Amino acid sequence: MRNNDVNKPGLSRRDLLSNAAAATGALVVGFWMPQRAAGQMTNPEGAAWATEPDVKEINAWVVVAPDNTVTIRIAQTELGQGVWTSNAMMVCEELQCEWSKVRPQYASANRDGQEMAPEWTLEVMGKGATDPFGGGEPEFGRRGRTGTEGIPNSLYRRMRTNAAASVKDGRYYLQLAGAEARERLLLAAAKSWGVPFEEVGSANSVITHRPTGRTTTYGQVAALAAQTPHPNPERIRIKPPSEWTLMGTEQKNLDVPMKVTGKTIYGIDVKLPGMKWAAVKTCPVYGGTLKSYDFGRIRNEPGVISAVEIPIPDPSLIRDRTFSAGVAIIAESWYQAKTALDKMPIEWDVPPENAARNTANMRAALLASLDKPGKVRVNLGDCDSAFANGAKNGVNNTVKIIEASYFTPYLPRARMEPGNATVLVSDNRVDIWIGDQSPQETRYSASRITGIPERNVYLHMCHLGGGFGRNGNGPQAEQAIYIANQNRGTPIHLLWSREEDFVGTTYRAMGVARLRAALDADGWPIAIEVRTAMDEKAPGAIAAFDRASRYHVPNYRFSTHSETFHIPVGTRRGVGQPAHDFYRESFIDELAHAAGKDPYLYRRELISRTNLPYKADMLMALDTAAKMSGWGTPLPQGSARAIALEERGAEGHGHATISAQVHTVSVSKQGEVRLLRVDVAHEEGFGLVNPLSVRKQLEGQITWFYNDTMHQQCNVVDGRIAENNFDRFPLSRIKEDPPDINITFFKTGHWLRGMGHDRGTSLQSGIADAVFQITGKRYRDLPLRNHDLTWG
Amino acid sequence: MAIDLTVNGVRHSVDVAPETPLLWVIRDQLGLTGTKFSCGIAQCGACTLHIDGQPVRSCSYPVSSAAGKTVTTIEGLSPDGTHPVQLAWIELDVPQCGYCQSGMIMSVAALLSKRRNPSDAEIDTEITNACRCSTYHRIRKAIRLAASKMSSQGRL
Repeated sequence: MRNNDVNKPGLSRRDLLSNAAAATGALVVGFWMPQRAAGQMTNPEGAAWATEPDVKEINAWVVVAPDNTVTIRIAQTELGQGVWTSNAMMVCEELQCEWSKVRPQYASANRDGQEMAPEWTLEVMGKGATDPFGGGEPEFGRRGRTGTEGIPNSLYRRMRTNAAASVKDGRYYLQLAGAEARERLLLAAAKSWGVPFEEVGSANSVITHRPTGRTTTYGQVAALAAQTPHPNPERIRIKPPSEWTLMGTEQKNLDVPMKVTGKTIYGIDVKLPGMKWAAVKTCPVYGGTLKSYDFGRIRNEPGVISAVEIPIPDPSLIRDRTFSAGVAIIAESWYQAKTALDKMPIEWDVPPENAARNTANMRAALLASLDKPGKVRVNLGDCDSAFANGAKNGVNNTVKIIEASYFTPYLPRARMEPGNATVLVSDNRVDIWIGDQSPQETRYSASRITGIPERNVYLHMCHLGGGFGRNGNGPQAEQAIYIANQNRGTPIHLLWSREEDFVGTTYRAMGVARLRAALDADGWPIAIEVRTAMDEKAPGAIAAFDRASRYHVPNYRFSTHSETFHIPVGTRRGVGQPAHDFYRESFIDELAHAAGKDPYLYRRELISRTNLPYKADMLMALDTAAKMSGWGTPLPQGSARAIALEERGAEGHGHATISAQVHTVSVSKQGEVRLLRVDVAHEEGFGLVNPLSVRKQLEGQITWFYNDTMHQQCNVVDGRIAENNFDRFPLSRIKEDPPDINITFFKTGHWLRGMGHDRGTSLQSGIADAVFQITGKRYRDLPLRNHDLTWG
Repeated sequence: MAIDLTVNGVRHSVDVAPETPLLWVIRDQLGLTGTKFSCGIAQCGACTLHIDGQPVRSCSYPVSSAAGKTVTTIEGLSPDGTHPVQLAWIELDVPQCGYCQSGMIMSVAALLSKRRNPSDAEIDTEITNACRCSTYHRIRKAIRLAASKMSSQGRL
């Protein structure tokens, strides 16, 4: 090879890493670790890893350089949701530093394992009991270091990227971090000038002594501030929304310039000197193990080094999910490893009860479970009598019984970057380069698998090529750590093929539901009974139906039912909400049609009859979306509008996120569906931190749930997932994107429960109902591509 | 077997099996990691680069077929990230996770180099890359913006 600097053998690892940092321009991604950790670290060449410049931090979140560059540590993973920008905005708002000089940088999971958060940050304004702005209690309190619920008390608090919670939970302690840093910078300035603290103020990184007009900068006093403790940090207050200046403004994502030049470092891009690649095949039927493989057949293939048997990853490390055992081939390049692996004969031991599973018998089992006693979650009034009386009165045609059953398939995240991780295990240290939504858990896994203490585990966080649900990362880290532990001293980069990524992910559970309603003579529900069923381990079983019906009904019962299957289920985008929203909103449409009423006004009336705490916000959402869409104005033949409510928390938790969407859809006589227009009315609560990010998330979720509605399904055939690449698991392209998306934000008087994952669920009921209006055909199982949509 | 190819204006001679997909030569041998692997079967377009100006899915394109040809990757689309498509992408804040965007930008740059002002139908037909974050709405607007930037620059 010639004329190629990148692999020039003379370059040391340090050069490579610092070149990588330089190439990213102003932003530094990955390859960073706190100085003292770097000092402890050696690599095979004896050189230190890349370190940050010799600048002392103000606190664990904020470093101010002499040139006023402010490094803000980000404890969540950037996977397209804009967390690098929104989290930095929350710190910067309080710090009052120059936004154009803010540089996000991943927080150290290693350090998080060794230091605790300052005591005064554990309970926030109002001491955590109540949010002074009416938002109720923040969803965290005091927890242990790695509490499984809520937010740990370790240095960087929650390092998980999940539950749409980065902004929702982070704003308390991130605003506090910015405020504390600012006050210490002001204290340092006051001290150096010998003036009272009360006489100094700051804006845009410039500190002014008000009486004299004398100025200095954050950069100039940062070193002193780093040594100036705050005398009474517990008295620090954070800004309420009315005082925000940066938060609430539309800010472009700070990492976009890197993403348009190919310079972002994702996990897959990590390359270390001496690194070998691992391609993996695990049993496609979950729970399966390796019976035999013939490494001799491929031993002499180009680049092949060795084979490593991988046991079933310890379920206790991966949220109690059972994946499969398999085998990895280590080679000089991934393509060589993968090519050889594909040629290697492998036999599996497959649990026969798992291999006997298929979509049809699993669906039948779930449907059957609906008739067995389930867990009754809500039982208000007397459903049995209401239905019995309804049946009696039905003879006189005064009461109508409506019943419908719905189905949703297994669905994977199918993020664009296949699972991967690079791991180097040495005698008493583990280094992991990874895009990971649970670094604190991966740190623990590494320690458990290698026997090396957590304090010697270092994660070098990379951007993720899509997330869409935390445990979709599956056992990528655990497999890589296992393989690297068998090859101590050699960095191993594990990469899943796309097909293997479909085996390594968890799935949103297959689900069924049966809803029944008794309507009075005017078409209003007297009783509604909801039964849902999915895998026993599926999260989100109570979504959308819990505590109270969102639509007024005097008698309401909700029960959940379950079966135990072998497909590992997890938290795909929206968790339990999307399927349950499909059931609920579809059923309300069916009731409205049965009652001969307008589906918008029918919803409106039923919500206004409830006593739900966010009733007015739900009505505002519906009214706004209807008005935006021109609801009620005529459409050409073959087109229809459908409306739906989207909410999380409307039954009253102190947080809620409420929106409504209207979908305008056409269906050709040949059955081609076109989503023409989406009108979104979305609340902003007290304020959105970065409204541009929210817009982008909403646009993306519209297409996400369009895909769920129209195209996507994973079927189980002989115990394995049948659709395992983008030929059989289709992703919509730009030609299906709706030409019109209109988004309106409206203010409400509470904090949001986040919005990163469960908006746009109404695409499902919306398109299905538009298809019904146009074709007269009501389909209750997704995706709609399975059905005949022709008409006329 | 040594194969000669020119990537982003630099001539290279690589010693790999001739059937090796160009993607892996670009990423592993040449260290240009902006071009991404995702499906491996030429479906999603994350690996799109240009060969003699034409968009190609490099995960399924043998390196031997690129011998003697000119390859351009996202790193070589412009010297300083100021190709009109890149500028439009920044202005409209298009990327989310960004993983598909190198391929997407290369597809769009190729389209705009042959069609100065493509119709919606042409965009629908030509831009077949997949984006899982679904940034399509901004992509279409950014294609229009890039087209207007290019025509005001008199650039083809």
